[in-house]
Amino acid sequence: MAEPSGPRRAPQWRDALVSELRALSPRLDVPPAGKQDAIVRQRLEAGQHPEPRPRSSARWRARMLYPRWRAALVVALTMVALAVAIPQSRAVIAHVLRLDGVELRQAPGPSPAPHPSLPGEQQMPLGQARQRVAFPILVPAKLGRPTAVTVSDSGRVATLIYDRTPYGQVRLDEFDGHLDQVYFEKFIQVGSATEVRVDGTKGLWVSGPQEVVYVRSDGMIVQASARLTTGSTLIWGTPRVVLRLEGGFTKAAALAVAASAR
Amino acid sequence: MLVARYTLRAHRAAWLLGAGEDADDVVQEAFVKAFRSLPKFRAGEPYAPWLLSIVANETKNLLRSRRRRHALALRLSALEPDAATPDSPFDEAAAGERRARLLAAVNALPDRERQALVCRYFLDLSEAETAQVLQWPLGSVKSRTSRALGRLRGLVVPEDQGRVFHG
Repeated sequence: MAEPSGPRRAPQWRDALVSELRALSPRLDVPPAGKQDAIVRQRLEAGQHPEPRPRSSARWRARMLYPRWRAALVVALTMVALAVAIPQSRAVIAHVLRLDGVELRQAPGPSPAPHPSLPGEQQMPLGQARQRVAFPILVPAKLGRPTAVTVSDSGRVATLIYDRTPYGQVRLDEFDGHLDQVYFEKFIQVGSATEVRVDGTKGLWVSGPQEVVYVRSDGMIVQASARLTTGSTLIWGTPRVVLRLEGGFTKAAALAVAASAR
Repeated sequence: MLVARYTLRAHRAAWLLGAGEDADDVVQEAFVKAFRSLPKFRAGEPYAPWLLSIVANETKNLLRSRRRRHALALRLSALEPDAATPDSPFDEAAAGERRARLLAAVNALPDRERQALVCRYFLDLSEAETAQVLQWPLGSVKSRTSRALGRLRGLVVPEDQGRVFHG
């Protein structure tokens, strides 16, 4: 690359610096987080207070407080449900995959680009892809050989792309992890999704491209947006992998393709 | 469930804002406080920045109580993500050096400017969310971020070298 000639405009160095900083983010050393849910629940149930509360010594008061935190918990759960239920603009989702901290949002509507690339997306032969990911890549026999195979997000996502099928362009994303059951249940209650069964496991049939939220094998909850602008989506999972099939399928055809995945 | 969902994000925030080995304790305290003060939480408001503001506050209290003058220095992970494979080993080494230099410069920033960058670019928060999390006016977020970037420009890209950025 050539040296830039002349003085650079201020916003340019700033943008470059910001993208370098953002690129640094996933490389920062952050140790694994301790499990908190049990301890926090215990502390809340025990009614412990972080600071001494001068007036809470009376027993009746403590007893009054107990149901209050339960109500609070219910509020918290409802909030998550609401966050799931309220459709938000796709613009709020900055990346196709947010690696840390995931907002739970359902974002209906087509994605902005037909092939937004995932972090570190690399095309490679299927055999090599199988070595690069930690989970078994499933290939639907009904679709034949994929046109292209990509691996992205440091081997956490594998994608099979089929350019010409009876269903138009088809894309099968496979994520290292499993479906978040709680989120899954909520998802089913939202709008256009219907529950199906694929190979004995729960699946979800959605008309139109959809987000997937799944629990990565390291416990992180990750959101992945739809990648095709048209078509419908079938989402299902095994204990190791979450699969999302997108294309111009009817429900029956999608289920048949999914069932042929080995 | 809510705890499990937000633990990683809260922990990352606590760690990057300087809580170090106490990050787990900070997160636990923040969750307990968050649940207790849920009645103060306005429905419809995003939950994460609100929780992170409690995490940031707890981290600040921790640093103050330990009389730590500076937050712990951020480090690069030993396991580099293999995502962006550069063209050659030479590029890889140069990129690694460059990252180390950038992070060292971030570590050398005044505390508040560093906090602004951590929130904006390492926790991926918007300016408004950063203002909420750090409990600063929006103008301070903008000015501190700007100042920090200005300093990094001098440290990372000396004017006379004018190195080309990748990306």
